Amino acid sequence: MSDPTGQFFAGLADQHHVLPGGVSGLVRCDLKDGDQIEHWYVTIRKGDVTVSREGGEADCVLTADKVTFDAIASGQMNAMAALLRGALSAQGKIILLTALQRLFPAPPSLHDGPVAGYARRTS
Amino acid sequence: MSADVKILDGNTFVVSDDRGDIEASLTDPTGLFSFDTRFLSKWVLTIDGQRLNPLSVDDLQYFETRFFLVPGTGTVYIDAKLSVIRQRAVGDGFHEELTILNHDENPLDVEVRVEAACDFADLFEVKDALKKKGEYYARVEDGRLVLGYERETYVRETWVSATEPCALDEGGLTFAVHVEPHSQWETDLHVAIGHDARGETSGLTKYERRAKKARPNMELGLEKWLDDAPSLDCDQDALKRTYHRSLVDLAALRFSPTMLPGHYLPAAGLPWFMTMFGRDSIFTSLQALPFTADLARTTLTALGLWQGTRRDDFRDEDPGRILHELRFGEMTAFEERPHSPYYGSVDATPLFVVLLDEYERWTGDAKLVRALEAQARAALAWVDDYADLQGNGYVAYQRRNEETGLENQCWKDSWDSISYRDGRLPGFPRATCELQGYAYDAKVRGARLARSVWKDPAFADRLEKEAADLKRRFNRDFWVEDGEYYAIAIESDGSKVDALASNNGHLLWSGIVDKSKAKAVARHLMSPAMYSGWGVRTLAEGQGRYNPIGYHVGTIWPYDNSFIAWGLRRYGFKEEAARIAAGILDAAEFFEGRLPEAFGGYARELTKYPVQYPTSCSPQAWSTGAPLLLLRTMLGLEPSGGDLIVDPALPSGIGRLELLDIPGRWGRRDAFGRGRVNVDKRPRSRSQLG
Repeated sequence: MSDPTGQFFAGLADQHHVLPGGVSGLVRCDLKDGDQIEHWYVTIRKGDVTVSREGGEADCVLTADKVTFDAIASGQMNAMAALLRGALSAQGKIILLTALQRLFPAPPSLHDGPVAGYARRTS
Repeated sequence: MSADVKILDGNTFVVSDDRGDIEASLTDPTGLFSFDTRFLSKWVLTIDGQRLNPLSVDDLQYFETRFFLVPGTGTVYIDAKLSVIRQRAVGDGFHEELTILNHDENPLDVEVRVEAACDFADLFEVKDALKKKGEYYARVEDGRLVLGYERETYVRETWVSATEPCALDEGGLTFAVHVEPHSQWETDLHVAIGHDARGETSGLTKYERRAKKARPNMELGLEKWLDDAPSLDCDQDALKRTYHRSLVDLAALRFSPTMLPGHYLPAAGLPWFMTMFGRDSIFTSLQALPFTADLARTTLTALGLWQGTRRDDFRDEDPGRILHELRFGEMTAFEERPHSPYYGSVDATPLFVVLLDEYERWTGDAKLVRALEAQARAALAWVDDYADLQGNGYVAYQRRNEETGLENQCWKDSWDSISYRDGRLPGFPRATCELQGYAYDAKVRGARLARSVWKDPAFADRLEKEAADLKRRFNRDFWVEDGEYYAIAIESDGSKVDALASNNGHLLWSGIVDKSKAKAVARHLMSPAMYSGWGVRTLAEGQGRYNPIGYHVGTIWPYDNSFIAWGLRRYGFKEEAARIAAGILDAAEFFEGRLPEAFGGYARELTKYPVQYPTSCSPQAWSTGAPLLLLRTMLGLEPSGGDLIVDPALPSGIGRLELLDIPGRWGRRDAFGRGRVNVDKRPRSRSQLG
């Protein structure tokens, strides 16, 4: 069974991320799946991101249904919109959610193929 | 309908009529608003079934107002045996003190009714008159009336309650009021935001009678804000008033983003644009830098945090792109509008780098420049990698979200703002000229930061080389030979969109103008076709689409003029800059120091006063910032290394001008100037600058 959330968090650790220098802290994601709650801990420090299934006291706690987070983690749903909609909730230092949302993937393109002029560097 | 009364606290505000009543329709923008959502659309007070008549309205503060009312809607006879005072303070909803005074020698028994209802409209729905998709509910519970709206997990609630006994029903509150002779009756009404974008709230309003629990955001540090700003003294009272008005309005426009509690950036305008806008926040921060650097610091931090990271067609987002607008309403929540945030602005990204450099020049805060190094580099990379939509090395725009995205992504964002001299409209993508100037300036300034702070001379060399190349090509490809000015834009095939527009002034500001061409550009800006006597028109008289009351095709924008003046100074045209400052500051006097977004492009001789362009937003941030930047240009304030250079060129209407305690990396410095520039020789009927 595919697990977009698991894949997203697994992918985070392998990449280099550009995060604002001043932002650091621990984010805990509580994801409800039936009567289970899945926990993910994301540490943001000096632009680096590490992921773990265990951790200490979080600076920011995100709560969502697993199915909602799967949609966010696969780019199907926008995290900020989900927050406004009440599908995702955030407690604590909201700045950490702002940092984390930068790492979610893009939604599918509205256009087929590359857009004219996209990423064309003049020589 | 009677005039609107607006009070505000952060992004929560109330718009009512002059009785204090709210009777909104889907298209009528009155009500209690918070986070871009209407939380009360009906709020009507009656006494024995009768509406009230306004005697007067006192605007006590930005956040507080008081209505004096009497019963009856008749205009001839007023029954003065009874009067009503509604005093209202906004903050987490609003708090209203309702007082009924009996002036008679007999006791008074009346039924007081407050009708309450809410449509929970998104600001975008108010603009576009759209239908709701969720369910409404109203119920009485725990001594309050709960008005609610629900759509899937999206819930918004308003809680209405009173301190005096009343009968609550789903449509409002009814009081059976008895008042002794020459006595009064009072109740407090609470309209609290019970459920908002942040989830369930405490359900409390910020204020309560007599025991004010909180100070409003606005007042928070207003005294300190004024104390911290440089003090201005001069022999022109009007200029002093304008300066004071600008500072107070700028304080009111401060907006604290949710992710940076306690830090403030300039929102774009009151009340409808009380949110983060990339372009407006950056321009206003630039204007205000000699007076306060705090706005620039928060703007840079917040915009850096929200910088684009992926390619999202719906939001016109790209990696490195700086946001255009952030919104919180239902349509954004359900991704029916792209403002979460929306990135469809093409100038905010290079201007982000421009502001970062200008901020460092004033403050010496290298720490922030280091913290935002990755963001600044990503912004510079965006200019090269994503903005070259015409494939010719110029910055251009074309929306990818064709349904709800912005068609024009430069500051002149109306449909007809970019045109040929003969009025024809160009196709897309459009490369407007000022964008090339901003890109050039971003590269030059980025190079300075790379060399001095990031310690990357190779990157600095590359940026400088690219900047020089861009400048050379631009002066060849945009220059209109037969008119001796820069085309407003070029099309993909290289055609010069040859209207003469105020964008030329922004080019001077950016530094992209060849020295040999600057004189011709300055001459155009000050010509009768462009300079009205009050300021430079957005589009020159005689161009196909010129209209003195056309939004971007003939009106005069104070913000635009302040940057034009800065540009003129940059190229040494001190007297011309002084003339512009004189005209705009004279205009400000007609608006009691509060410059509107734009005013008519009619010649000054023709109308004698500036004709206001009708807009709903006032004050507007970058109009508020215009007098500040004009003070900078008149005094010739320029940071140089660790010091502040002062090189005044004041219009002769100002005898003496002192700006004391200008903050910066030098600590505090004073600037003095005397008016020596004779901007106009016409006879004067009143004291004026130009």
